[in-house]
Amino acid sequence: MDSNWLSYSLSDFLMFGPEVFLRLFVRINQDIWPWQGIAVIMVVAIGALLVRGDILARRGILLLMAAAWLWSGAGFLMEYYGPVNLPATWFGWAFVLQGALLTVVALVWRWDTVAEQSAMARWSSGIGWVVIMGLSPLLTVAQSGNWHSVALFAVTPHVTALGAVPCMLVLPRRIRWLFLLLPLVWGLFSVATLWTLGTRVLVVIPAATLALAVLALLFSPRRAQNRG
Amino acid sequence: MATELTRRKFLMALAATGLSLRLPSLMAASTGETITRTIPSSGETLPAIGMGTWRTFNVGGDQYLIDQRTDVLKTFFDLGGTLVDSSPMYGSAAEVMGEALDTLNARDKLFSATKIWTGDGDATREQDRASRRKWGIERFDLQQVHNLVAWQAHLETLQQMKANGEVRYVGITTSHGRRHGDFERIMEAEPLDFVQLTYNVLDREAEERLLPLARERGIAVIVNRPFQGGSLFQRFQSEPLPSWAGEAGCGNWAEFFLKFILSHPAVTCAIPATTKVEHMKENMGAMVGPLPDEQQRSQMADYVAGL
Repeated sequence: MDSNWLSYSLSDFLMFGPEVFLRLFVRINQDIWPWQGIAVIMVVAIGALLVRGDILARRGILLLMAAAWLWSGAGFLMEYYGPVNLPATWFGWAFVLQGALLTVVALVWRWDTVAEQSAMARWSSGIGWVVIMGLSPLLTVAQSGNWHSVALFAVTPHVTALGAVPCMLVLPRRIRWLFLLLPLVWGLFSVATLWTLGTRVLVVIPAATLALAVLALLFSPRRAQNRG
Repeated sequence: MATELTRRKFLMALAATGLSLRLPSLMAASTGETITRTIPSSGETLPAIGMGTWRTFNVGGDQYLIDQRTDVLKTFFDLGGTLVDSSPMYGSAAEVMGEALDTLNARDKLFSATKIWTGDGDATREQDRASRRKWGIERFDLQQVHNLVAWQAHLETLQQMKANGEVRYVGITTSHGRRHGDFERIMEAEPLDFVQLTYNVLDREAEERLLPLARERGIAVIVNRPFQGGSLFQRFQSEPLPSWAGEAGCGNWAEFFLKFILSHPAVTCAIPATTKVEHMKENMGAMVGPLPDEQQRSQMADYVAGL
């Protein structure tokens, strides 16, 4: 290996500063206003479907997640983040592909049986998910000090990826790993980027995504698997 | 003959002493005299402070930030700057520069410098064309091979382009002190108008071989990372300037760092980057007034090393 590469640090590959990055959230919120309401409805709907928990609800969760991957990939990543950070465009395509694949799975996968979950488990997963999706967008506000930078699920990729990992548990185990790869790689990329940018508060979101994705890959509960 | 020292005489003498200390700087400022340097290969003069765009002009389609950067560029031109340096590596910086130049209608004030940054040795002209389109200019004043990437092929094409009048000057770049050995060999073997390298009060490796070689070979030198990517301010801004800084022509830390660089006889131009108009004004202040002499340069380096 060329020893010259050892002299490079992550900051040598980052061509923008924290001001530009945090402005991305402000800009997209300004541009899509008042359609943020759809993102809020999606969060509540996914929470409700997690509580319901049957096969139809699972299809609904996957379709809504697919829409979130598509929206945040084609919107935030390709249109806003990509012009200042080229890898974000590549991730944008990956998010779109993930959304398309998830749509196919949601529509065509045949669940023969679904393990029963207790009402308590369903309610806590649904409410827990909504609470996390409600609070994590505020981390960009804490970082920037600007309410307009709130990072909504389905609109912005970091919160979308975080919210996606628990939702992937509704997938049959034999294909679940496929949909956890992108959150894993995105989490790694974002931790490195946000740490180098110095936006340390925001690192919490991709770090949590990364940890959850690893846990989901290593410890997939058998009760959620497809027994068909 | 004894002269009585009155309060009035004392104050007048004090004022005169203070004025004399600042006189060279004041004279330069009042006459609008700026520090310029000559490009050895042509004899053309350049203002000694240019502007870099690394990280600062890559703001994408953010109109609010584009307007802010346009103000920075306007200040740069208003205060006598001409050389602006960028690279295709810097994301949207070239498009933003093009938009700012459109707004200011200031292409006649510009000495445009960019780089070829691609591992494809056949893509030199294509990348030059793409950069010209983004900047909105007919040709670049200076095209450089970025970090020596595929340098043989790019340099050969750039020399042909120069001969055809498609670019005025040709150069190579490095940063962070990387590949100085290769850099030196290319400087010795190739006919270059410019080299760009990292040099500042802490990173002084270039003084050993590259800067003397540039003088010997008649190559203009652009200095990047004059503030070490901003870290010099983070480290030293809370510290006081030395009491003798005024004598060396330095009224603030920006001038201190930049005048240290400009006072090296091989240096043609330093290219600090900033996002703020106030910082641009401070940077351009280094282009006015006296420069430190050799003894003061040593004092400056020793002072910073001792902090």
